[in-house]
Amino acid sequence: MKSENGFYGQYGGSYIPEILYSSQQQILQAFEEAKNDPEFLAELNKQWQQFSGRPTPLTFCENLTNHFGGAQIYLKREDLNHSGAHKMNNVIGQGLLVKRMGKKRVIAETGAGQHGIATALVAARLGLECTIYMGAKDIERQYPNVFWMKQLGATVVPVTTGAQTLRDALDEALRDWSSSHEESHYLIGTSCGCAPFPEMVAFFQSVIGNEVREQSVAQFGQFPDRLYACVGGGSNACGLFLPFLEDENVEMVGVEAGGKGLELGEHSIRLSHNLGQPGIAQGFATMFLQDDAGQLQETHSIAAGLDYVGVSPIIAHLAETGRVQMTYAMDDEVIEACTLLLKKEGIIPALESSHALAGAFKDAPNLPKESRIVINLSGRGDKDIFNVAKAVEDETFPQFLNDYLASYPTFPADNSHANKEQNA
Amino acid sequence: MSQLATFIDKKRQKKPILAMTHVVYGYPSVQESLDWMARLMEEGVDFIEVQFPFSDPVADGPSIVAACHRALEQKLDVDTCLSQLGKLAKDFPESRIVLMSYLNPMYRFGLEKLAKRAAEENILGLILPDLPIEQSATYRTACEANNIDPVWLVTPATPKDRLTMLAGQASGFLYCVARSGVTGHSSHEGKSHERKSHEEKDQTNQLDDYLAEINSHANAPIGVGFGLRERSQIEQLTGKADIAILGSALLDAYNEGGQEAGIELIKMLFTK
Repeated sequence: MKSENGFYGQYGGSYIPEILYSSQQQILQAFEEAKNDPEFLAELNKQWQQFSGRPTPLTFCENLTNHFGGAQIYLKREDLNHSGAHKMNNVIGQGLLVKRMGKKRVIAETGAGQHGIATALVAARLGLECTIYMGAKDIERQYPNVFWMKQLGATVVPVTTGAQTLRDALDEALRDWSSSHEESHYLIGTSCGCAPFPEMVAFFQSVIGNEVREQSVAQFGQFPDRLYACVGGGSNACGLFLPFLEDENVEMVGVEAGGKGLELGEHSIRLSHNLGQPGIAQGFATMFLQDDAGQLQETHSIAAGLDYVGVSPIIAHLAETGRVQMTYAMDDEVIEACTLLLKKEGIIPALESSHALAGAFKDAPNLPKESRIVINLSGRGDKDIFNVAKAVEDETFPQFLNDYLASYPTFPADNSHANKEQNA
Repeated sequence: MSQLATFIDKKRQKKPILAMTHVVYGYPSVQESLDWMARLMEEGVDFIEVQFPFSDPVADGPSIVAACHRALEQKLDVDTCLSQLGKLAKDFPESRIVLMSYLNPMYRFGLEKLAKRAAEENILGLILPDLPIEQSATYRTACEANNIDPVWLVTPATPKDRLTMLAGQASGFLYCVARSGVTGHSSHEGKSHERKSHEEKDQTNQLDDYLAEINSHANAPIGVGFGLRERSQIEQLTGKADIAILGSALLDAYNEGGQEAGIELIKMLFTK
């Protein structure tokens, strides 16, 4: 979706410290040129195909369809991307842009670690130096992802300011970029941040919706009636929705994280239910969860990838104009939806994507039998093994962890040295 | 000429370089921060730059970030802050107060209301590092209407034509960021520690060239900040800039040894 000078209605724009002006202009120009360069696009398609495994399938879910007895349910299988999530579409695109700009280093923020891993994978493949900022609390919660980032050669920097989560990691990545803008590119993971990041990330993610356009016509002879996507930062929703924007008969539903409840701090609902307020922070204008004094607030979701205080200015605008309908799903509904997909279809969804499932499952029984819905399964759920085990109260899991720990070799104390250096 | 620029011109006739010292409002508590501001003005600093804290201060380094987060453990109110600063401005007519914050808390308060209230309290300049001049029409109009100055920033990375434009738009004073990065010591300046002496010399020359370039276009006095903590740096600026801005270094001194350590640092840096 083309912006008006970086703005989507009242959202978006570029509100960055003056020091970043030149670098931001450089990205603006490089992206503008790249997206119109057939050679760049050919290389992008090649990498999407050969490195990430695109195109991803559109899978019909017969059992679920019969279970609800309403709309015919299809899943767009972004979980089958390399790295297990749609994040790969964007990092491949920006990675190629970094090479084009001649920069040698990438910086990224990550919450759950999915974008961090995707960035580290691409950095390794393209021979780029890679620094990942991650909240110290998120590192504790998502250590397996941190482990892989380090193995891939990335430097993972724990962020200990503020709430020590995604929002703080994003601030710290911006601070690094302020110091290192000459040789570094800030590889943002979602369609947020200053212009042209929202537009650029949405552009790279639009491969999702573009594939669905072809696949839906090939598989059932028409476009879907309704699309569902979870909305954290908003990149997978932008990716599925934007290619259908002009097709007025295609309805779009974005599902936010309702968390544990509607009190401030318990959820990440910025758009539905009027819980967010317009604000300008982290480089752009959007709806933020904030107090009446304009201080950004803490958020919660069982899915770390949806636990963000702002939202894509593109989605904020489409929600405001009514083109995208926003709703939310609570933590427990999400686990229920996840479990249902496991049992009925043999697919392990990420908890983020399970929000989209939960939103769609609420509507499915009431939709006409001949209608078709496509749910964006943005990522696979292997990473959520600890959280899901806890949520379904698996009794054997703690025993497994204890046994594993008991058999884990202990290393001499100065071995921690190597780890520390990597973290320095 | 604006009230602020007139004040600077007048003071500069007696002093080779003016001191602007930074204080985070509400850190470690509202009262302690107000006491510290009063003490600084008692000691004769020319300006205090008061930072109204924001949860996500992306242009600041670790010292100021930590102080802002600590300050925000209590509920802070922009209007109350302005009234309290107004009282200080009355008590210390020989110094001036400028208010610095990030856009969001000021946007929530209302940029027009901010300009009006600041003027009422004799706060003559406002600094919002994340509001680019291109998006500032409402804010500039409001500042103009209330006869206060929106202070713009330029950096060593600002392209020449843009620097010329910003210097031409400067009112009150032009805030010149001395180097890339965030305020104060930063975990991101790994490379600068290894800098060899000849590179340091290059840096010195670069800063001189940068200030000369700004001086040739600026319609207002110039202030220099970011990373100042040594007397040699202040000496280098004298004659090339009007104001030296002391932020994180002062906060670090205050954290180490309270008001006395802070005052000692200022004396070490600025006393002839």
